[in-house]
Amino acid sequence: MVEAAVVSGVAAVSAFGRGTRPLLSATLAATPVFRRVERFDVSRRRVSVAATLPGQPDLLEELVGVVDQACGEAGLDERARETCPLLLAVHGDPTLARADVDDRPAHSAQSLADRVVARTGLSDKLGLDGRLASPPTRVYTSACVAASTAVADAATLVALGRADRVVVAAGYLVESDQFALFDAGRALATDGSVRPFSAGRTGLLLGDGVAAVVISSAAAAARRDAPVLARVAGWSRTGDAYHVCQPRPDGAGLARAIGTALRRAGVRADEVGYVNAHGSGTPFSDAAEAAALHLALGSHADRVPVSSTKSVHGQALEASGLLEFIVTVLAMREGCLPVNAGYLEPDPECRLDIIAGEPREASPRYALSLNAAFGGANTALLVGAA
Amino acid sequence: MTNVATDRRLVDDLVASVQSVGLSVTASSAWPDRADDPPPPALPGFVLSSFSPLVAEVAERCLGAAAGLPPLPLARGDRTAFVLVSPLGDVAAAVHVAQTVDRGGRVGPLLFFQSVPNSVAGYVAARWGIAGPVVCLASPGAGPDVAGLLIDDGEADEVLVIIADQSYMDAAGDRAAAVLVRRDASKGANP
Repeated sequence: MVEAAVVSGVAAVSAFGRGTRPLLSATLAATPVFRRVERFDVSRRRVSVAATLPGQPDLLEELVGVVDQACGEAGLDERARETCPLLLAVHGDPTLARADVDDRPAHSAQSLADRVVARTGLSDKLGLDGRLASPPTRVYTSACVAASTAVADAATLVALGRADRVVVAAGYLVESDQFALFDAGRALATDGSVRPFSAGRTGLLLGDGVAAVVISSAAAAARRDAPVLARVAGWSRTGDAYHVCQPRPDGAGLARAIGTALRRAGVRADEVGYVNAHGSGTPFSDAAEAAALHLALGSHADRVPVSSTKSVHGQALEASGLLEFIVTVLAMREGCLPVNAGYLEPDPECRLDIIAGEPREASPRYALSLNAAFGGANTALLVGAA
Repeated sequence: MTNVATDRRLVDDLVASVQSVGLSVTASSAWPDRADDPPPPALPGFVLSSFSPLVAEVAERCLGAAAGLPPLPLARGDRTAFVLVSPLGDVAAAVHVAQTVDRGGRVGPLLFFQSVPNSVAGYVAARWGIAGPVVCLASPGAGPDVAGLLIDDGEADEVLVIIADQSYMDAAGDRAAAVLVRRDASKGANP
């Protein structure tokens, strides 16, 4: 029997502060906060801006904070947490590359996840179902699909009846090394704005993002009288089999993910009322995503409202998919769809109904949250209204 | 010097682990798999680190043993996933970037895409026509469980699972193992 997977707790930290409300408000008001980075020296970089919290936030502390908050919202007491595993999406322990050689193993991403588990009382026991080869705490490092893959896996664990509930957490705080790499790769926007799907877009900008969600079976949520914020109605992960770091120009891989997510849920393309796009703001990637939407949704791709909230909160790398999943859930509940900030004018390569200027009042029954990453990895998450 | 007995244990453990969760092994490979195994050949576009060549080499050996020359037939490639496990990722490249940043230098543009394990996964997937899910993990033992989950979720029939353990000291301690797995029909899915 397939169990329904629901979202029963969410928490987020972004450049707008701690909490989901400031994040949602900023995406609805289209007020990005890309500003000069003060956290480290950017004087030798081509680009010097990102969406960052003030000061030097600590990834472990922020992860513990969002996990505690999401579990609290889902009504998970100490005992419920003991059987709830953690799926964590991160680039790695940010201290690894500067640790003493002999200390490097202690700075693994797994060790970071284990510390989050120890601090928050989540499950560290072997076996979600008694037949696993490894402990249940898992770390996903699949770049920009790390968090969305973790959500898909959490929904799968619930759907297959292997877990009553799973916490998915993710975190990226803008730091000097990835900033230098993205700058060297000429991936960063040179005009201080992220303009997904727009003519004149010049690239992405990085942003802080730390987030957590509790994915439960509908039955487990009901037993605890936990809130049901949304349903994870469908999901899929696919590969392009195309290139080391470029997406397939025809979008076929991402289109397959969208199609599978819809079929899994038994939802028609024209029932999708909003797409929170990957929309990185890079010329090639946005065009491929637009092609994928046309391939997967047919003529509905001309009508479905689309925005990329990276235009507001920035690209949070391994954590971005979770930040965007949460924005999608909250926007559906708010009855208002977020704005694609920075939009100048249509690009013929991206024929989509972009939500530019003002947010749109709408209460879709279904929305897609899409992500794509280096290596041709794609994910589609279909969010159903509660 | 490489300890081949120890290195073979990585692939033996991986085979035992996938079998323990009801998956059967179509093919397996290791690097190194003998005392005089030459270093994995360099990959075009990947620089300064042994990580990506290591992954590509065990993938080539495993898929070659299972299917001959690349790519996989279209129908098989579409139903094959790739799970890449690397506990510390490309630690040599990460250390190089950190040292360059700390002395105020500029990092090379090729290191941009090399900074995530997805990139070499994309190299292997493109070469072999693997169009199922691409999942990268840092949890040392999680590959077999995630492979089983992808199959049970209907996303793939076969999964290439690679564990790439780049030495955190120097390339002489690198080791990697690969298995191509499918659900063992006689044992069925996990409960």
